[in-house]
Amino acid sequence: MLKKLTKPLLQVTALAAALSCSAMTLAADKVTFQLDWLPGGDKAPVYVGIQQGFFAAEDLDVKIASGRGSTDAVTKMATGQSDVGTADIGALMAAKAIDGVPVSAVMSYFSQAPHAFFTLEGSSIKSLKDVAGKKIATSPFTSSNAFLPLVLKENGMAADSVTLVKSDPGALSPMLMTGNIEGIIAWVTNVALYEKQAAEAGKTLRVIPWTDAGLDLYSSSLLAADKFLSERPDVARRFVKAFAKAVQFTYANPDKAGADIHAMVPEVDAAVAAAQIRSINGLVYNEVTSKDGLGALTPERTALTWKWVSQANNLAADAMDPEMAVNRGFMPEQK
Amino acid sequence: MSQKSMSNKTALSDTRAPAIRQWLLNYASALFFIAFVVLWELVCRVGKVPVYILPSPLSIVNAFFDVEFSRWLEHLWATLRVALMGFALSICISIPLAIAMVRSEFLSRTIYPALVVIQSTPVVAVAPLIIVLMGTGDMSRVLITCLITFFPLVVSTATGMLETPEELIELSKSLRAPRYRETWQIRIPYAIPHIFSGLKVSITLAIIGAVVAEFVAAEKGLGYFIQFSTSFFKIPQAFAGLIFLAVVSLVLFKSVQWAQQWLYPWSIPKNKR
Repeated sequence: MLKKLTKPLLQVTALAAALSCSAMTLAADKVTFQLDWLPGGDKAPVYVGIQQGFFAAEDLDVKIASGRGSTDAVTKMATGQSDVGTADIGALMAAKAIDGVPVSAVMSYFSQAPHAFFTLEGSSIKSLKDVAGKKIATSPFTSSNAFLPLVLKENGMAADSVTLVKSDPGALSPMLMTGNIEGIIAWVTNVALYEKQAAEAGKTLRVIPWTDAGLDLYSSSLLAADKFLSERPDVARRFVKAFAKAVQFTYANPDKAGADIHAMVPEVDAAVAAAQIRSINGLVYNEVTSKDGLGALTPERTALTWKWVSQANNLAADAMDPEMAVNRGFMPEQK
Repeated sequence: MSQKSMSNKTALSDTRAPAIRQWLLNYASALFFIAFVVLWELVCRVGKVPVYILPSPLSIVNAFFDVEFSRWLEHLWATLRVALMGFALSICISIPLAIAMVRSEFLSRTIYPALVVIQSTPVVAVAPLIIVLMGTGDMSRVLITCLITFFPLVVSTATGMLETPEELIELSKSLRAPRYRETWQIRIPYAIPHIFSGLKVSITLAIIGAVVAEFVAAEKGLGYFIQFSTSFFKIPQAFAGLIFLAVVSLVLFKSVQWAQQWLYPWSIPKNKR
């Protein structure tokens, strides 16, 4: 009798043990990803990573949090609210030099600067030199404002040769389209959106990127909280590997990437996101990536980035060793 | 035409004129609203105002229906949840605080200046710090909402309680009524109209608080939706969100009015009941 009862009991126990083991293996590592702004085409890789299963393949369960600027994103990683995210490496360097924030850059995403002048076809501003003596609108808090005097100086112009009009970011496009202002400062990540508005207004957008004017630096990069890197190095390594895969997939398949982000954030138009991805391909794939590889953070370019960032933020060149802001131990393998 | 029929006609128009006037008066706000919308549409069409400067009412309506209704409900619920939790928390804090301040001169002298300082601090500036300290969850958004809503409620409750006629307080003292009965049976009932005025101000502020919090950190909500639409230059969609938000605020305001009518009808002036 006892034997009769024991046998099914053992079977049930074995089954329960097997189930709990499989549940344990199913429980993926949780990672919170911090965006530096609202979802959009330029933020597509992390959505692609989730939708295409790159993170799942690395046994990662990724949650995305939107941010309100690079400084906000760095703060959220420093305070442990997020583990990893994309933000401007310049904001990280400045925060590191001033406060020593426990966040490091692990991979570059945009290896060129996104800052640019936007104007309309027919305007007298055809190159950077033409902005002298002009009124240019910009949003009050963009990091571009700090880089502008340096770019002007690099091109032999006085810092005050441009009159800046500070305006709400949402008002910049209407100001440009209605002819209230001849040029604005914006990021090339928004070219697709501005082009759409210009087309609606029967006009054509003209973009003058500052990269052409000598602004050579890393900008948006994959950053991670130092705590995350030291306490969960294996998770971090797997994350960076999957993220790099997602970046490659995004720029090789803009339409699919647009659909992926739309699937997770229905407010983002798949077609607009795809257009954004296409328009910023040059920020991710350019001569820097051809030379150093995708995601690389070379000591030379890191030092060059710090040179620009320190000058833009009025920090002493020796306020920080730029290498302190970088951790290359998690870099994905180059193919 | 006979004289009789003439006089009949005049009598009819005499009775009609006041009726029309009354009808116009009854529907004045609706008529004004319709006229305003029609004028807005006309200005946009005739003046060919670009959509990125001022979208026409029709384009706003279209933008509203372009977004799935389930998405609207998700955003609405996110904002409403935070606004109502913040509002409830501010009631739980404000009314006991007001009672304590009225009952104790010491507390009044110590707490009141602190409250004024909190109220004078722009919550918009403090909101990012709250998010950093308390995380990006609902709690920090509820706290931001509570910070914006509690002050009018404390002030109106305390004012109402202090406006209780002195004779009634003296009477209760002469009858040796305990302090709690003086508070609950005399001062609080006297303060009800004031409390509800405070609640009406606070409920609209609660929506503003929730939106401020969403501007700083959120993944959902009507404030987030408006910010999102603006960043994608979807101006009609942003306007649709804005109007939806205003309607929600209006409904909440009305709900407080209905609650007052239902719970304390005597606290509303007779001509407005």
